[in-house]
Parts: sequence; structure tokens; C-alpha cells
Amino acid sequence: MTVAAGIGYALLALGPSLSLFVAVISQKPFLILTVLSSTLLWLMSLIVLAGVWRAFLPFKTTPSSSAWLPYSILILSSVVFQEGLRVLFWRIYKKLEDILDAFADRVSKPRLFLTDKMQIALAGGMGHGVAHAVFFCLSLLTPAFGPATFYVEKCSQMPFFLVSSMIALAFVTIHTFSMVIAFNGYAEGNRVDQLIVPVVHLVAGMLTLVNLASGGCIIGIPLLYCMALFTLLHCGKMVWKRLADSQNR
Amino acid sequence: MDQNQKPTSLLDTLGEEIIRILTPVSICMFLVVILVSILNNSSDSSGPSITTIASIAYSEDSSDSIWDKLKGALLNSLVFVAVVTVVTFLLVLLFYLRCTKFLKYYMGFSAFLVLGFIGGEIAVFVIKDLSFPIDAVTFMVVLFNFTVVGVLATFMENFAIFIKQGYLVVVGMLVAYWFTPTWVLLVAMALYDLAAVLLPGGPLRLLVELAISRDEDIPALVYEARPVTDHDSVPSNGEVQRRVWRERRHIESDFIDNVEASSESNPVGSNTSNASRVSGMSLSLETNERERNLVAAEEGRVATLDSELSAPLIQHRIDVQLNLQEGPSDSSALEGIGLGSSGAIKLGLGDFIFYSVLVGRAAMYDFMTVYACYLAIIAGLGITLMLLAFYQKALPALPVSVLLGVLFYLLTRLLLENFVVQCSINLLMF
Repeated sequence: MTVAAGIGYALLALGPSLSLFVAVISQKPFLILTVLSSTLLWLMSLIVLAGVWRAFLPFKTTPSSSAWLPYSILILSSVVFQEGLRVLFWRIYKKLEDILDAFADRVSKPRLFLTDKMQIALAGGMGHGVAHAVFFCLSLLTPAFGPATFYVEKCSQMPFFLVSSMIALAFVTIHTFSMVIAFNGYAEGNRVDQLIVPVVHLVAGMLTLVNLASGGCIIGIPLLYCMALFTLLHCGKMVWKRLADSQNR
Repeated sequence: MDQNQKPTSLLDTLGEEIIRILTPVSICMFLVVILVSILNNSSDSSGPSITTIASIAYSEDSSDSIWDKLKGALLNSLVFVAVVTVVTFLLVLLFYLRCTKFLKYYMGFSAFLVLGFIGGEIAVFVIKDLSFPIDAVTFMVVLFNFTVVGVLATFMENFAIFIKQGYLVVVGMLVAYWFTPTWVLLVAMALYDLAAVLLPGGPLRLLVELAISRDEDIPALVYEARPVTDHDSVPSNGEVQRRVWRERRHIESDFIDNVEASSESNPVGSNTSNASRVSGMSLSLETNERERNLVAAEEGRVATLDSELSAPLIQHRIDVQLNLQEGPSDSSALEGIGLGSSGAIKLGLGDFIFYSVLVGRAAMYDFMTVYACYLAIIAGLGITLMLLAFYQKALPALPVSVLLGVLFYLLTRLLLENFVVQCSINLLMF
């Protein structure tokens, strides 16, 4: 694809993250560091998963029997692993929060505000989303510069790159905001919030299995966007409620 | 969401110094990657094929077997490290004999060479690739001016800091593109750096001790991050400002502006009550008076220094200049991280170059490796900064980042790529 198209696809997947970065995260250096370390963490998780599954890929399937089962196991295991990693991330964050609070006391500055904590969660989620977008979408774009483009048979209405950017955008949204929901859920001990995040992640992952069927992406992608929208709305509602509560207190 | 007047939060300025070092490193790497992709895309062998010190013992031939290539690479690396060691000792000798003027002039000269010749050659390649219409005379004039300003920037002290930093980044980028080593060489250099800085007999350590004992500066090309406050009254770069002892004098507003001293507990957890520790972002300095309150001009923050903390702040840097076309390399790469006199973090240009070289090498394969290596290098840099805060002496910046970078490159290339491509082709993502 041409360079212009390539840049277009890249912006499609990462545009909102970029604006979020410039508007919110680049103002505070600590958040930039959080994004970078979060991206590194998820990259390492991807590498571990790749290492584990290396021996089994590519799945040998006959054209008649589809590769539903092995792929679903793959997605299931990956999602479970990543959700476990999220809990670990939360624990590390708790320790960091204590250190930061102690430091704030020492330099006589106010402790972390609620919005600070949410911003850190947002930055962490963005790192996750960016890692996903970069490694699943962007890194496939760059070798493909040149005259032609690539179509997948199962989804032949659009070039492959466009489809993957759209999916990446949905996932970036889901990842970014579920981290906020998750951190909030862990902080307040809210079971619903805590469970919603892995469930959403799993459902989204499984939805992409629909893409294995021919023409499946026509159904799969809108449903994925429904999930992303749901995550956004839930996160917004939760944040609004939490802030209103802390104001009234 | 909230009302506009909110008390400034802790999060506003934490970690700012690290970002100020990360940004130019990232820019340099980014530029090298772009350069590599432009110039390696077009044709395979139009790039510069040079016999440098890096390949003096053995030039790779595609028909050789793997074992031969490995042997050749090892031989190359040994020769290179040996040459670098010899030259470093030579530098130590010169410094000992107080030939600092010579070193300074030599640095300016190498800056001239790099900017003029290497920059010119790379510019010619780029122009040829992009079919940029420019005539020879204009090109010469522009190049000459560019080079001269660059040399002046590295020489003079009170130069506009932004231009100076920009030029350092450009120099780093040019050398990084030119110097394409093998992976074995990178690892060898990392190990050498580790040895040279930390071992008692290492040349770099000798250099640092000499400089301290004489209370002199080492002429070198160093990148110093801008001090956190925007007040730049302390000249940076060009000359290494070496600070052994930092005395807090009475409040001169200039002076305080340049000091960002916030005590911060070390994330590793050793939180002593007496000594204010650092975590790579700023350094509590030795004070003559106890209980001083520093007011950082920007934020109006108040930091209390609890006690005296001796902070030998050492940095030393000599740029790696591989004098490629004129014969054997003249100076060696000394890498290390230290703290500048204004409290900002200083990073040697050699480090810039090696990081960019690593990323450039990764770019020759694929962009996925580039992202992975970039993250690994940044992580390595962060770890080194934390160690710097912990140990508070000159540390080699190269080993952690290079080793992590190489590790991630291999892992990505072998494991991740296959996995991700398999999933993405089937439009399966999670």
C-alpha cells in the first residue's frame, strides 16, 4: 500500500491514543513513564505467550474442519494470562502508590488525588492498548509498503490492513478503559467492576473468532465496537459516580 | 472536571528529568530508523560499504558458513575492543600529561569531520534516493555552514542550548548510521564498557579519578538534559562539567534555579532517614547548612534536605569518533552516566550512538524488532538511572541497555513474530 494509505491505517488504529497522549499524558512526565513501562510489560506478556505457543503454531487444519478449537484455546489462555498480569500490575501499582505518598509527605506536597490515580490507571491502560496496536497492527503495515495491497479471503470486502486497523482501534479502546475500571474495582473492592474487565476482554477475544468464518468480519467488527462502546460508557459512568462521591464527601 | 484552581499535584513534575533524557535518545533512534529505512529500501548495495575498524580483521562474505561468520565476527570484535582499549589508555595518558587543549581541538576536529564528511555523504545518498533537485554549489555552501555552526556549538560554552543539543543528536545519528556493527560487536562493547568503568584498573575509571584528583574537566561530548527549571545559566555540554562536591551557597536565585533537589525515596526500598536518596531524577546535594529549604523557582515546592549527603558526582565522557576514512580510530568510546553540575542527568554521546546503532540494526530486519528493542533500551536506561541513584558513582550506561536490547531482539525475531503474524492473518486478536 502507498505511504499515504499506510499512514492513514496507522492513524486509524492509533489516532485517538495519540490525541489522548498529547492532551493528557504528555503533560505529566510520570504518566509518560507509566505508559512506557506498561507497554513493556504487555510486550513481555506477548513474548511469553508466543514462546509457549511457538511449538503449536501454525495449526494444521484441513480446509474442511476449521481451526476453531485450537484458536479458541489459544485466545482463552492468552486472555487468562493477561488478566492475571493485570492483577500483578495492580499490586505493583499499590506499592508504587505507597512510595509516592510517602514521598509526597516528605516534600510537603499533597498526596495523590483521585484524579491522579485515575490518570495513572489510564496511562497504564493506554500502554496496554498501544502495545496491542503496535504489535498486532502497525508492525505488519511497514513491511507492506509498495504498489499493491493485500486482501484476506475470509474478509474480502476491505484490504486486510484496514480491517486489522479497525479491530486494533476497538481493542485499544477496550484495553485503555478497562484498566481504569479494573483499578477502580480493585481499589474499592467492587466485585462487579473487577469481574467485568476479564469478561469483556474474553468476550472481545472470542468475538474475533467469528472472523475465521468466511464473511464473518461483517458481524464480528460491529459487535467488537459494541463491546468497546460498552467499556467506554461503563468507565465514564463509574468515573463520574466516583468523582461525584468524593466531591460530596 | 474539577475546578480550575487545583493545588499542583505531585504527579506534575515527577520524573521530568528522566523524560528530558529520554526524549533526545528517542529522537535520535527515530531518525536513525528513518534513515536506515530510506537508504536500505532503495537498493541493497548502494549504501556505504566501508572498511572500518569494525571489519578490519574479517569482511563478511555471504558464501561463508555460519561458523566462519561467527568466528569472523568474534575476531572483529576482539580487534575493535583492543583498539578501543589502547586508545582509551592513550587518552588517559594525554590527560595525565595535561594536554587538554589538544583534546579539545581534537574534539572540534572530529565534530567537523563527522558533520562535514559523513553528513555530506549521507545527504548525497538521501538526495539521490529522493531525487531532490539541488545543485552542487548550494549544497556545498549549506553543508559548510551547517558544519561550522556544529563545530562552534560543541566548542563554545554559552551557546544556545537547544541548538547544541540538536547538533549532538545529529552527530550521534550520523555516526550511528555510518557505523554498522555486528551484534557480537555490540555485546563486546557492552562488556568492555562494564569492565572499563567498574574495574579498578579500567581506563575510564583512571580517567575519572585523575579528573577528580585534579579538579579538572574532561573534554568530551556529552549530552546534558536541560535542567528542570528553564533557567539555563549553567552552560552545559561541550565541556563536561564535573562536580565532585557541590556546595550549597546562600541563595542566589540563579543557583537555586539550577538545582532541582527533591528528596525521594528509592524505589528499591532502602529508605534511610538520614540520607536523602535519589532515584535517578534529582540528587540531594551536599549542603553546608543543614535544614536548608530550597525553593525551586518554578513550582514553589519546598524540599527539605535532612542531612548532608556526599554525592560524588562524576561524569566523564569521551565521544566515540571512529575516524573511518582516514585510518585507525583515534578516540574511543567511553560510556557512562553521571550527573551534571546543574543536577541534570548527563548522558554521553557514545551511549546515544550505541543505542541508535542497536535500533538501526534492528530496523534492517523489521519494524517489530525496532519497537521491541526501543522498549528494551528505554527500560535499560531506566534501570541504569535507578542504579545511578543507588550507587551514586559513575556507571556504564551501555551494558544493561545493550544486553536487554539484544535479548529482546532475539526473542521478538524468533518467537513473537511468528505468533503475531499467525494470529493477525486470521484476524484473531486479543
